[in-house]
Amino acid sequence: MFDNNVFIKGTCKNITADNQITGFELQTHITYYRAIPLSMVNDVKVKLDGTEILREQIRCSVDQEDWFTLDEMQTVTSYKWEYGEPLYIRVLKENGLSKGTHKVELTVSTRTAYIPVPIVGTMEREVEIA
Amino acid sequence: MAIKTCVSLYSLQDEYMNKRMTLEDIMKYLAEHKVEGLELLPDQMIHNTPHPSEESLKHWDYLMETYKIKPVCSDVFLNTNLYNNRTLTKRECIDLLIDEIKLAHRMGFHLIRLVSMVPAFVIEPLLPYAEKYDVAFALEIHAGMSFGIPETRGFIEEMVRVDSPYCGLVVDAGIFCHRIPRVYNDYNMKVLGTNPKVVEYFNSLFDKGLDGTHAFDEQHNMKPELAAIATEKDMPYIMLADGYENTPYETLDKYMKYIKHFHFKLWEMADGEEYSVDYKGLLQYLHDHDYDGYVSTEYEGNRWILPGHPMVEKEQVAAHQEMLRRYIQEMEG
Repeated sequence: MFDNNVFIKGTCKNITADNQITGFELQTHITYYRAIPLSMVNDVKVKLDGTEILREQIRCSVDQEDWFTLDEMQTVTSYKWEYGEPLYIRVLKENGLSKGTHKVELTVSTRTAYIPVPIVGTMEREVEIA
Repeated sequence: MAIKTCVSLYSLQDEYMNKRMTLEDIMKYLAEHKVEGLELLPDQMIHNTPHPSEESLKHWDYLMETYKIKPVCSDVFLNTNLYNNRTLTKRECIDLLIDEIKLAHRMGFHLIRLVSMVPAFVIEPLLPYAEKYDVAFALEIHAGMSFGIPETRGFIEEMVRVDSPYCGLVVDAGIFCHRIPRVYNDYNMKVLGTNPKVVEYFNSLFDKGLDGTHAFDEQHNMKPELAAIATEKDMPYIMLADGYENTPYETLDKYMKYIKHFHFKLWEMADGEEYSVDYKGLLQYLHDHDYDGYVSTEYEGNRWILPGHPMVEKEQVAAHQEMLRRYIQEMEG
């Protein structure tokens, strides 16, 4: 229902630390119409060229300062993912994305208060790494 | 006695999310279209609700003073599933809602809408706060979670028992659909690949004066004729298709004294009318029953815009407001 909110176009890029590529990052809007605390993000999944990234490799942040694993995020109630603002998602992966074209698929699932099943949105984009 | 119109900013959520409109742009839009009142989801457009920064609140004050749109209703949610391993306790629920009442008061609202499924046990403990801050609270009656659902019945029973002017209902007009929104059907068939026969099945229920709830038995299993044609791919459509209900207006008779506000749902304006809800008929009912309050345009067709097509939130809202004002003018003179 909120597929169009997922994976903001043009946001996928490699990230570096100490001149080393340590992974890649992408941004997404929320699969809902309002803000929720991070603890209500039910799941985040990333597929790279058809292969699912391990849950342990994923980090999330709303302020680009404090990053949480998906397991940690379950107790994070005082950081809100605001409607209209991105969730930053990092995939820790040595050398990140290689040069060329990749298919990156993002799935985001959020819990709402009154609908019994989480709201899931998915979007795949072709990403060009120069 | 008068029926007044306002606009829920929910209607402009895509403009806001994609940063084509700021909150101030939205206020300007409302003022340009001579909209009298507004409804807001603080969780949608006010950061860090229910504890926004002083700066955010000052900006809100500035918007209120500059554009003079009356704050009519604040739509409040209760995150009972804040944690994935337990439901919030009663005290946690009540504390969260007290903060929402205080925020609504600070922002100039005198009414909050409680999302469907908010438990009845919050009512009594909230009343002293509602009175102190002069903010009424009202449960939303929404298709799929309407009068027949045990949680809704429980809330209403307790509401009747306490019988306070500070506790009531908000009715969403999605319970008055005489046909399924065409934009919903089209989107599901064209984008999600829903079998047209499944869509036709739901349409045929409405043709008989029924609605999507009649596609299921009492255990909420699909009826055999639907199960025979439905596949996995049709499930997203089927799951939501019973969320458009065809309730007789008379169902409201005994609740009229508790109704504080209406969401006038909008999916598609076609030739000056909403495609699924007969608003002339509904307004006539409200007029005949001396409804004194607001009806709020709540556009939701934005969810079902076909890929590659332009977003039409502003145009749809303006057309809906024009229709409502025309009918109210005809009735009230």
